[in-house]
This record gives sequence, structure tokens and C-alpha cells, in this order.
Amino acid sequence: MVSATALRRLGGLQLALVSLVILAPVAWMVLSSFKPSAEVTAYPPTLWFTPTLDNYRQLFSSTPFARYTLNSLVVAAGSTLIGLGFGVPAAFAVSWRRMMWPALVTLAARMAPGTLYLLPWYLMFRWLGLIGSYWALILTHAAITLPIVIWVLLPFFDAVPHSVLESAQVDGCSVPRTLWRIALPLVVPGLVVSAILAFIFSWNYFLFALVLSNSDTKTLIAASFNFIGEGATYWGALMAAATLIALPPLLLAFAVQRRLVAGLAVGAVKG
Amino acid sequence: MASIRLRKVVKKFGEHVVIPEMSLEIPDREFAVFVGPSGCGKSTLLRIIAGLEGVDGGDVIIGEDRVNDRPAAQRDIAMVFQDYALYPHMTVYKNMAFALEMRNMHRAEIDRRVRDAARMLRLETLLDRKPKALSGGQRQRVAMGRAIVREPRVFLFDEPLSNLDAKLRGEVRTEIKRLSQQLRTTMIFVTHDQVEAMTLADRIVVLNGGRIQQVGTPEEVYNHPANRFVAGFIGAPAMNFFPVNVEAEGSGFTAVLRDGTRLRLPISQTEGIRAVNARDAVLGLRPENVTTREFTHSASVRARLDVVETLGSDTFGYFGLAGGQYVARLKADFGIRPGSEVELGLDMSAAHLFTDDDGHAIQ
Ligand SMILES: Nc1ncnc2c1ncn2[C@@H]1O[C@H](COP(=O)(O)OP(=O)(O)OP(=O)(O)O)[C@@H](O)[C@H]1O
Ligand SMILES: [Mg+2]
Repeated sequence: MVSATALRRLGGLQLALVSLVILAPVAWMVLSSFKPSAEVTAYPPTLWFTPTLDNYRQLFSSTPFARYTLNSLVVAAGSTLIGLGFGVPAAFAVSWRRMMWPALVTLAARMAPGTLYLLPWYLMFRWLGLIGSYWALILTHAAITLPIVIWVLLPFFDAVPHSVLESAQVDGCSVPRTLWRIALPLVVPGLVVSAILAFIFSWNYFLFALVLSNSDTKTLIAASFNFIGEGATYWGALMAAATLIALPPLLLAFAVQRRLVAGLAVGAVKG
Repeated sequence: MASIRLRKVVKKFGEHVVIPEMSLEIPDREFAVFVGPSGCGKSTLLRIIAGLEGVDGGDVIIGEDRVNDRPAAQRDIAMVFQDYALYPHMTVYKNMAFALEMRNMHRAEIDRRVRDAARMLRLETLLDRKPKALSGGQRQRVAMGRAIVREPRVFLFDEPLSNLDAKLRGEVRTEIKRLSQQLRTTMIFVTHDQVEAMTLADRIVVLNGGRIQQVGTPEEVYNHPANRFVAGFIGAPAMNFFPVNVEAEGSGFTAVLRDGTRLRLPISQTEGIRAVNARDAVLGLRPENVTTREFTHSASVRARLDVVETLGSDTFGYFGLAGGQYVARLKADFGIRPGSEVELGLDMSAAHLFTDDDGHAIQ
């Protein structure tokens, strides 16, 4: 028998470990972005320093940071919309008709390493003349957002009683109308959660942009990747960039944490 | 308003045949009740008529139209589901108005119909509530209202009362009866409660294992069950079945119980017995025909009561006889105790006789 106190201690230890692994790098990143450049790489890391905005200034003066931000926003928002546009009907069909293939195909596609797609997609988009366009990025990022939308929404749709959907049919709704007027309003929490997760995952994904974008459409995260090769002097700017890049997903995650938890207890749909 | 016809309808779920082949006609404006044990295919049949399930053979005809290929949305039927299936995100008003909006009906007409139905169902004060804020009985009435405003060709009900408590169930049952008389629309009501079936139906369709056992008025089904299944299913407590030997005696026949008790069978059955040349058979007597009450009974047995159920209006006594367990309807008397010996009169004029093998009624 494991006693309750032992379990609680184990839980505490686990929490401490998780915080160390996840929070320590974040703290290090944020702190470093405010350090004078000499101290960024100092070992052991200094905890007391005079905070400065030099890194941020350098970042904005030496790179088109605002442009990259806009690119990331366009790509993440666009691919999230496409993910919702196709993922919502797909999840509805999967849940209602037990038609499993869209869910499985997208999941399999997502499980395959991204590098697998790089060459074919590069050739394909070059052939279409779309390399360096937003469309290439939005479409490829939809491969990230689509499975997220489908799999997050599935349990929400599953929680809608079948008889409610059937009732709508008897009342004269076509299938698309049943989705639009009945099912969708009942899965709004799921929509919010899936949209935000899709946005964050697309925002953070850099592999496709590395190859399919040009200097005009480069996303933030792909651009920041370039800093690394350019010498130790840029470490501070990199940390500043990383901090700014991490900000929107963190804020979004915070904004929906309630919803995320509520989303797990989907029973709320039942009336 | 429309009649409903099923012609040789077959339904399978994968390999599992739920309805082997069924033909049935429900005339216009009739209140039909599908009754049968759990899993016999009542809901499936209703859903086939609604268009929520396809068929694997045969035709579904509503009015003059073969509707096999018509989706539920275009069949002009209304359905009340067992769990009511109200739209959780809409108010009571919206729930009732929804189907009419789908038909692009004029706003004023929608409002008129919804308010009429609300008045009829005493929902006027609840129109702005969401379903979550309603009691079970109120939800049930909203579900009814949602069907009524449609003024459909056919109403379908799938066990709409089974989620209500006993008292409410009785009230709503009466309500539905009243509504059906008011609306005069074809209605099909599914239940496994034979009291609901008896009280509501113009015509009862008794089902078992995906097959129709009997179609008839409540009176026909009760007094002239087509077979042993119907006899045992309709009526509570269930009919008593005695295995008997049938012997010719004089101009008629006599049923001999396993303990040797001889019971003269009614003359009316003579022809039927001759026709099937019955030897072994099953004698059926309803509890109300096995009783201590004063009436001119044709036979009597002595029995010792094992269990006594006093309901106030009735007392049911359970007893063993010739190796079987049976029930008698005694006079309403709280004084009857288990263990007491009683003289039970058998009203043989109400006796049913069924063949021993396939259980068909011998009449
Ligand atoms: N979607 C389905 N897939 C497979 N089998 C089904 C399906 N729906 C019903 N069945 C089977 O069909 C048979 C009839 O079911 P149905 O729901 O019509 O019974 P019922 O008479 O309404 O019973 P109850 O009184 O319990 O509601 C059952 O054996 C059931 O298991
Ligand atoms: Mg059923």
C-alpha cells in the first residue's frame, strides 16, 4: 500500500520536476532578453543585472521584425481558418456517421515527420509558382491545424445527443443546416479551444516556412532560426525575439485555460 | 393527415435481421400503438417511417407517396423522442418555432401557432426558458408542442412517457388522448407499457422479434388474442397458462389439468378444436376469470395462496396448481393473508385455448 502522504509527496516532486524542465528555460529566456549582451552567455548565469532594452532595440533595428510578425499572423490565422473550415464538417461527420477516415488520415499525415513533405511540397509549390507566397504557407500549415481541429472537436460533437440531431432532421434541416444551426452552437467551447490550439501550433511551426517562404513571407519563428547561425553577438537579440514570439501563444493559452479545463468535462452540452 | 403503409419492409443492421418482412397499414387519422417487449424493433420501425433509418427491402408509403428515398426533412412528419431531444441552446419558444422557420413560414403565422400550442400545453409562462431550466414534465410538453405546431401529416411518438414518474405519466397519457381527439391526425405511439397501449390506441400492433403478432382494437387484442404471446403480453398481471390434455366429452370437449382436474371447455371452441384436432394444448385464463368473487362459474379449484398483493382496488393472490404458478384476482379485501386456503371459481366461458406447439389461438 502506498500511503496518501507518500502519494502527495510524489505529486509534489513531479510538479517540481515539471516546473524545472518547462519553466526554467522560459525564465532563462525572458531574463536573458533583458541582459546586457556581455552577460547573456556568462556562466554561471547571472541573476542580478541591470535590465536593458538593448536587445530589443537591436532586434527591431537589424531585422524587419514587424513584417515577420505580420507574416506569422497571416499564416497562423489563415491556416486556422482553413483548419476550421474543413475540420469542423469533418469532425461532425466522423462523430455522427462514425466515418473514421478523415480523422485517421489527418492524424497519420500529422504523425509523419514534416521533413517527409518538404521536398515534394517544395517541388509542387515551385511548379505552381507559389514559393514565397502566403498561400504555400497557409496551405501547408493547414496540415498542422486540420488534425488538431478534428481531434479536439470530436469529443464535443460526440457529447451532442444523437436524438437532438435527428430531431433537427425531422424538423426539416438538411445535414449542413443541422451542423450550422444545431451542432455548432452546442460545441462553441470546443471551437474556441481548437481554434486557439491550431493558431498556437501553426504559429510555432517553422519547418515548412524555412523552405517555402522567401524574405518577404518568412514567419517569425523561421526568421529567428536564422539568428542562430550569425554568431554569439546575437544571442541577446535571439532571446528577445524568442520572448516576443512566445508571448502570443502564452497569452492565448492563459486566456482559454478555463475553457480548456471545461472542455475536458464536456457534459456541459447536455440540457 | 395521411395513411401509412409498409409493404414487405425488411431491415437489417449488418448481418442482424431486425425486421424479417413486415407489411402493415395504418389508416388516415388513426391512433396506432406499437407495443412489444424491449428489442422487438418498435423504435426501428418508427425510425423507418420517420426516415431516420433506411430499409433493406420493401416500400414505405405515406399518403400516396412512396417515401423510401425521401430524407426525414421532407416527409412532413413530427416526432417526439424518448429523451425529448429539445435543442439545448434555444428557448422554449425557439424550440417550437424552429421547424416552422426551416419552412420559411411567415413570422406572424409562426407566432400564432407557437402561442396556440403553448396555451394548449400550459407553456405560456415558460416560453423564454431554456430546456435546462424545465422539469421533466415541462420538457415533455415542449416536445409535444414542437410536434403540434408543425401540423404534420403524421405524429410519431417513441416512448414519450417513459421518463416521467407514475402520476405524471397517467396525466400526460390522458393529455395525449385528449390532443389526439382534438387533432385527428394519424399518430403512431411506441411503448412497451400495455396500459398505455390499451388506453390510447384505436388500433394496437403487437410486435415480437420484428414480427407482427396481431393488429387489432384494444378490445380484440384483449379478448381475442391471436396467439399465446399476445395473450401473455397484454393484460396485467399476465394471463395464466395451464398445460392441458383435450378430451372429447359428449358433444364438446374437456380440458384436463395435469392434476386431473377436469374443466369443461366452452361450446364456442368446439369447432376450432376439431379443426386442429388438438390433443395437448394450453388453456389460458386471465386473473379476473380466476376469482373468489360471486359469479356463476363453471368450475372451481381449491388453492393455497403463496403471495398476496393488495392494491386497494384489487387483491391478487398467487398460488401453485398442478405444478405451475398462477394468479387470481380476488375481491378487494385487505384481510386476505398469504397461506389461506381459498375456493377459486374459474370462468370457463372466458377461457382461451392455444396450440401446444406454435401457440396459435384455437377459436
Ligand atoms: N443502430 C443499430 N445498430 C445495430 N443494431 C441495432 C441498431 N438499432 C437497433 N438495433 C437492434 O435492433 C433491435 C431492435 O431495436 P429497437 O431499438 O427497435 O427495439 P425497441 O423495440 O425499440 O426496444 P426498446 O423497447 O428497448 O426501446 C435490437 O435487437 C437492437 O439491438
Ligand atoms: Mg425503443
